[in-house]
Amino acid sequence: MSARGYSTRRFSFAAGHRYWVDAWPAARNEETFGRLTVPHGHNYTLDVTVHGPIDPETGMVIDLAELKRVVGETVVERFDHADLNADPVFRGRVPTTENIAVAVWDLLAPKLGVERLWQVRVWEDPTLYVDYRG
Amino acid sequence: MSAPLMAGMSAPLTVLAAPRLELTRVYHFSAAHRLVSPRLDAEANARLYGHCARPHGHNYYLEVTVAGCPDPLTGMSVDLGRLDAIVAGAVIDRVDHYALEEVPALAGVVTTGESLARAFWGLIRNAGPEVALVQVTVVETAKNRFEYRGGE
Repeated sequence: MSARGYSTRRFSFAAGHRYWVDAWPAARNEETFGRLTVPHGHNYTLDVTVHGPIDPETGMVIDLAELKRVVGETVVERFDHADLNADPVFRGRVPTTENIAVAVWDLLAPKLGVERLWQVRVWEDPTLYVDYRG
Repeated sequence: MSAPLMAGMSAPLTVLAAPRLELTRVYHFSAAHRLVSPRLDAEANARLYGHCARPHGHNYYLEVTVAGCPDPLTGMSVDLGRLDAIVAGAVIDRVDHYALEEVPALAGVVTTGESLARAFWGLIRNAGPEVALVQVTVVETAKNRFEYRGGE
């Protein structure tokens, strides 16, 4: 049996968002979220970790070029320079860092397989990140 | 809120609870310290801790990880304002620009990264018992990080 490894590749995307619950009147949104109701943006950093046996032949857990392609096509192209509130994946969901992590997982799991995808880490800025493992 | 997609599985029969995740907030403080064990004499301390026995300081980072489930409506798992206030009151305001050996809340603590992480865990726990603490990390320098996950 081959040893297990965890490989992480880092991505980034710049996206706009605001905190807003459509079902609430403006006053309640402003009371709850304050300045976060104003449309603004972040340079997000995304760390995607996959795990699995280290292939005895290639020495790799995953071909990082494949990981780069899958995450690039599935997540980065979709969210980079996009308005997250307008993305169908956030319909009825506030694009908080938590919900972005869950959305990224939900987008990647069918492509990479839940047996390979280990963790999604979304950094909103250098002081805040959320880890989600499905 | 949709449940996470499971490759190769049909949709769950029941609606799953909101996904559990971990949120980490990074704080910063600068402080002076020196490693001195009260159980050892000056010569033994100098021998054991070397350079670290001399008064010096660091730009520390404190990473606080909490568990939570995003609220289906607000998408937030943690009240970040409340967490920031707890960590500021329990730790940052007490240690930022102080000598750690003179901080009353750290009395009796040899200020290694490991012991600071454990002490900060206790201070945060006392100030905010409702916080679902998962890990407290003290980053002393770019080369040293110390993680404490509770327990003895």
